[in-house]
Amino acid sequence: MSEIVGIDLGTTNSLIGVMDSGFPILIADRDGSRLTPSVVYLPENGDPVVGAPADRMRALMPERTLYSVKRLIGRRPGESEKEDFPFAVRSVNGRMLLEIGDQLLKPEEVSSLLLKKLKADAETSLGHSVDRAVISVPAYFNDLQRQATKSAGELAGFTIERIINEPTAAALAYGLDRLRDRSKIAVYDLGGGTFDISILELNEGVFRVLSTNGNTRLGGDDIDRELVRLLKERIIGRYPELRPELDDRLFFARIREIAHAAKLRLSTEDVVQVEIPFLSGNRSFSYALTRMELEAIARPIIRRTRSHCLRSLDDAKLDPVKLDEVILVGGVTRMPIVRQFCAEVFQRLPNITQNPDEAVAAGATIQAGILSGEVQNVVLLDVTPLSLGIETFGGLMNVIIPRNTTIPCKAGEMFTNAVANQTAMQIVVLQGERELAKDNWELGRFNLEFEPVPKGIARVGVQFEIDADGILHVLARDTRAGREKVVELSSAVDVSDEAVEKMIAESLDHAFEDMSERVWAEAVLKSNELVPAVRSALTLVGDQINSEDQRKIDVLVSEVEAALKSHDSQRLKKANAELDEGTQHLATLLIDRAMNEAARRKK
Amino acid sequence: MIDYFALLGVERRPAITEEILKGAYFRKSESLQSDPSESGERFAVNAAFRIIANPATRIQHLLTLEFGEPGGGQIGADLGELFGSIVKVLQSADHQLGSLAAQSSPILRALEYQRLEGLRPQLEQVEKELSQRESGLLAELVRLDQRWLENTARTRRPLAQMALDLTFVQKWLSQVRERIIRLEELA
Repeated sequence: MSEIVGIDLGTTNSLIGVMDSGFPILIADRDGSRLTPSVVYLPENGDPVVGAPADRMRALMPERTLYSVKRLIGRRPGESEKEDFPFAVRSVNGRMLLEIGDQLLKPEEVSSLLLKKLKADAETSLGHSVDRAVISVPAYFNDLQRQATKSAGELAGFTIERIINEPTAAALAYGLDRLRDRSKIAVYDLGGGTFDISILELNEGVFRVLSTNGNTRLGGDDIDRELVRLLKERIIGRYPELRPELDDRLFFARIREIAHAAKLRLSTEDVVQVEIPFLSGNRSFSYALTRMELEAIARPIIRRTRSHCLRSLDDAKLDPVKLDEVILVGGVTRMPIVRQFCAEVFQRLPNITQNPDEAVAAGATIQAGILSGEVQNVVLLDVTPLSLGIETFGGLMNVIIPRNTTIPCKAGEMFTNAVANQTAMQIVVLQGERELAKDNWELGRFNLEFEPVPKGIARVGVQFEIDADGILHVLARDTRAGREKVVELSSAVDVSDEAVEKMIAESLDHAFEDMSERVWAEAVLKSNELVPAVRSALTLVGDQINSEDQRKIDVLVSEVEAALKSHDSQRLKKANAELDEGTQHLATLLIDRAMNEAARRKK
Repeated sequence: MIDYFALLGVERRPAITEEILKGAYFRKSESLQSDPSESGERFAVNAAFRIIANPATRIQHLLTLEFGEPGGGQIGADLGELFGSIVKVLQSADHQLGSLAAQSSPILRALEYQRLEGLRPQLEQVEKELSQRESGLLAELVRLDQRWLENTARTRRPLAQMALDLTFVQKWLSQVRERIIRLEELA
C-alpha cells in the first residue's frame, strides 16, 4: 500500500508530513525549511515561483505575487467586505478570480501550485512518488470552501483521501502520546487568515469533537492591515506631502512587509524601531513602535473570537472550568495578548506545548496514518460546523442537519406538489445559522421533478448526506415512480450573476442618490448623533487615551463641523466615516468599561 | 424502523448513563473504522448515538419502538405559563439587540451597549429558571425509569409528557442562550 501524506495548506505557510515509525515527520525542502510560505509569484515570462523565493518578490512585484489566497478559495463575489490585496481580484461570472497580466486564475489553481511544490519536496525527500494526501481546512469552512480545497489537491495530482479540520488535527497531534487519557480540551486556532475553536473529548484513543465554531475571515492578516494603517498615519504625520504616494501598491506592499515583521518581533520585545529608509527620495522614516500600540490595535480583532468561544462552549454544554486544557495553535497565538485573552475567557492558563506552526500539519499526517492503517487504536469523530437547511416559504431557513452533528450523517426530507399537475419545484440548499435564508450561504439549488398528479399526491424524498470530509451529497428518490438519482446542485455561477447584477444595480442607485438631498439630510442626521456621542464618550473614558489620540479626535470632530457648514454631502460623509474610524479605540474602551461594571455588579 | 438501542448494544430503557452509552458508541465506531466496507453503517451509528444521547429524543424513540408512536399532546400547564414570560423577554431582547445591531458607528453602538445593561440580567434570570426546570425533568426521568421497569404500560403517558416538556425547555434554553451570546457578539 502506498503511503499517504498529510498537508497543512495554510493562509500564511504550508507544510507536508509523512508517518515514520509511528510518528509524524514534517518534510523539509531543499533549503532545509519545513515551512513553505503560501506565496506564488507568476513572472511575465517563465514558470511560477512558489514558496520562499516568491515571498521575496512580494515587495518587488506586488501585482504578480499572490498570497493569502486561502481567504478567497470557495468564496463568491460580494459575500463580504472587499479585501486589500495589491494584486487584482476580479469577479467573473460569479466567481472570484485572480488577474495577473492577461491571465485569469481560480484561487484553487493558485493553491494547487503550492501543493505541487509540497508534493515535489516530499518526493525528493522520500525518493519515490506520493499521490495520496490528507489536507487540512479550517473547521469553519463551508461546503464550497471544502470542495474547492479538494479540487486544488486533485489539480496538483493527489487523490484526496480525507479533508480534516485544522483544530481536530491539532488535537490529534496533542493527544497522540496521551492515548490512555480521558479529558476535555479546547483548541484555539488563530492563524493568518482564519479562526477556529473546537472542543473535544479525548477518551482512551477516541477523539470526539463536541462542538466547533469560528470565522473564516479573521486572523493575523487583519492585525497587519490595521498596523499598516497606523504606520501610514504616522508617516503622514511626519511627511504630509507624501499622502498621495502612500496609496501606491508597491508602497503598500513594502509597508505591509515591515509591519508584519514588526508584529512578529513585538511578541517577545516591548518596543521595535520601525525603519523605512529612502521612503521617498531622500526622506527616511523611523518610528519606535511599542507592544502597547500593537495591542491596542489587536485587541478589538482578538475580541471578535470571544463570542465564537462562548458559542462553542455552550454547544458542548460545558463550563470553561470543566475543561482540562486549552491548546493554542496558529502563529498569532504567540502574541502575549492572545494568551492573556484565552486565560480570561477559559479561566485558566493556556497550554502552549504545541508548536503553533506545525501542530496542524503533524495532525493531518497522523490522520493519514490512521487511514493507511499505520496508526492503530485511534478513532476520530468529527462534526459538521454549520447547519444545513433549505429555504422554505417566506424566505426562512429550515434546518435539516443541525451544526455540530457528528459526520458522516444524513437526513431525509419529503416533498409533495402544492398544486395539481405541478411538474417541478426548486429547492435552495443553504448552510449557516441565521433564520432568514438570505443571510446564509447558498450552496446551490436544484429542480425536483414531479409526476403530473393531483395536489399533495406526489412524493419525492430528498436525502442530504454529509460525508467524512464535511462535503454534501444530495440524492432524490421519487417514491411513487421508484426512481432515485444523485442531484447536482447548480453551480454558483447562475446564482451569483444575479447577485452581482443586483450589486451593480445597487451601486448605480447609490450613484444617483449621491446627488440627492436625501444623502445630505442623512449625513447631517448622523453627524448630529455622532458628535455629541463622541463628546460624551470622551468624558467617560477620555482619560484613558493619550493626548495625541485625543488631539486627533478633536481634529476629526472639527472636520465634521466644518463639513456641516459646507453643504458638501461627499465631504460630510467622508468626515463622518473618518470620525467613526478614529473613534474605534474609544468605543472599545467604552465597552470594556460596561463589561467591567457588569462583572463588578455580579460579584 | 431501526432499533437504535439494539444497534449500539445498550439496554432499551428510559435512562442510560453517559458512561455506558459512550462506551458502546466508541467501541462500535472503532470496529467500523478498521473495516472500510462498513462505511455505510457509520451513518446509522452516529444517528443512533445522537438520538439516544439526548433524553427527549431517546424517550420518543423508545416509545415509538414499544407502542408505535411517541405520544404526548400539549405541554404541561405550568410550562405554558412560563412560556408566556419567556416570549416577552425574548421579544424585548430581539428588539433591543436589533437596535444595537443597527448602529453603524462604533461609538454610537458602544453607548447603546451601555444602555442595554438591564437586558443581560433579565436573560440570565430566565436561563436560570429554565435550567432548573431541565434538572427537575431529568430527576423525574430517573424515577420514571424505575417505574418503567415495574410497569411499562402505565409509565407510557407520563414518560411521553416528560419528553415533550423537555423538548420545549431545551428549545427555549437554546433560544435564551443564543440571545446572551448575541449580546456578547455585538459588543
